[in-house]
Amino acid sequence: MHISDGVLSAPVLAAGWIITAIFIALAIWWSKKKGIEVEMIPKLSVMTAVFFVVCLVHIPIGPTCVHFMLDGLLGIMLGILSYPAFFIGLVLQAFLFQFGGVTTIGINTVNVGIPALIAYVIFQRGMKSELLSSRRGFSAGVFGAIAGGVAVLLVAVFTAGALIASGEQFTGVAVALVVTHIPVMIIEAAVVGSVVAFLARVKPELIGNLGGDKK
Amino acid sequence: MIEYPEIDRYASLDSPMHRFDPRAKVIAFLFLIFSIVLLNDLKLVLIGFIVSILFLIASKLPFHFVIQHLKGVSLFILPFLVIMPFTVKGNEIFSFYAIKVTYEGLRYGILVVLKAFSAVMLIFPMIATTKFETTLKALDKLKVPNILVQMLMFTYRYLFVFVNVFQRLLIAMESRGFKLGTSSYALRTIGNALGMLFVRSYERAERVYLAMRSRGYAGSQKTLVGFKMCTKDYVLAVFIIAFAVCLHIVCYAGVGVV
Repeated sequence: MHISDGVLSAPVLAAGWIITAIFIALAIWWSKKKGIEVEMIPKLSVMTAVFFVVCLVHIPIGPTCVHFMLDGLLGIMLGILSYPAFFIGLVLQAFLFQFGGVTTIGINTVNVGIPALIAYVIFQRGMKSELLSSRRGFSAGVFGAIAGGVAVLLVAVFTAGALIASGEQFTGVAVALVVTHIPVMIIEAAVVGSVVAFLARVKPELIGNLGGDKK
Repeated sequence: MIEYPEIDRYASLDSPMHRFDPRAKVIAFLFLIFSIVLLNDLKLVLIGFIVSILFLIASKLPFHFVIQHLKGVSLFILPFLVIMPFTVKGNEIFSFYAIKVTYEGLRYGILVVLKAFSAVMLIFPMIATTKFETTLKALDKLKVPNILVQMLMFTYRYLFVFVNVFQRLLIAMESRGFKLGTSSYALRTIGNALGMLFVRSYERAERVYLAMRSRGYAGSQKTLVGFKMCTKDYVLAVFIIAFAVCLHIVCYAGVGVV
């Protein structure tokens, strides 16, 4: 999910950078308020690194292969802090692997970061509503799968939106993008669901925060 | 399997780009990348593209190293060239039943591809000619928020660790007969394995934090590397930035230079 350099128009790029700056400032302000900003730096970095590596693995599907995005999972696990994590991940990706673009880091972070936050909200709401409270792992798995699938769909829609906002000539590319993400969405929903169900059984404190619970 | 992020494998070579001060290098090339990407004139973008190639050649990085990186990137860029000529409305070049190729679509496609490749090629003289750690220290000296520089630094450092950890995990699973695929069993199994990986890495993160804390870490970090700008660095930086600005002046003045 990377928009390359040279595709988007200047206003869209600028809007992306501004929104990203605001959300990162918000995340840092939030961690300061909770008193975990010193703790956050190494912990969030380690988690960002592991997500980054997992996203390098390709799963064969038919003639091509896709890679995990784990967008919803990062949101579910890290909450608001997922936003700076995405930013760091995308900066490294742009410079280390040249995937995505340099000028588009801002808007690319918006396109993955905001769906992750929405996934977080969906998951938290779902768990609180106790619709499926028979077994903890089960309901976490179901809501994790929903949040994970929705996140991928939203990422595709956001990216398509950024393309169309840049110019009508990209409508064709944008439609192709959303369609090709439907299989990815199904795979992601399955994987995110099973990861979240596993975490809910094995280490539930990993979901939704980053070590801020002990104080 | 999974590659290491070895962008700075050839950082120890010697070339004008390698000797360029990292701070000036980062600023000048970022400026140039933004300038080329925001251009809208095909001729000027072509000039930018050629200049990017010249900078890439000046950096003396091995050809196969650059090609190997560019190959992956083409997967993201080339679809634009393939899809856009068919989907953008405009003057037709030729049509074949319902399929129409338009001049506007072709122009946009070429524009996007040239800009994207220019930007990618400029990353090499900017990043691949300095040890990545040094580049990050340069960012710190350039007053990028310390919290972001530290996160970049730690994340980069742990990338290598987790490439190994994850590689081991996959080998262990494959040696028990697991095959990566899209069956529901495979996805559930990989989900559990990833869950375990997250648990382990979270515990590792906690140990890392405690170890750092016990050595006096309090949220900030100091670097001992000193950078020195000499006249050559100023000249080169000013030259690159002036070139970037000129591209836009020409573009707005609407003067055809070629």
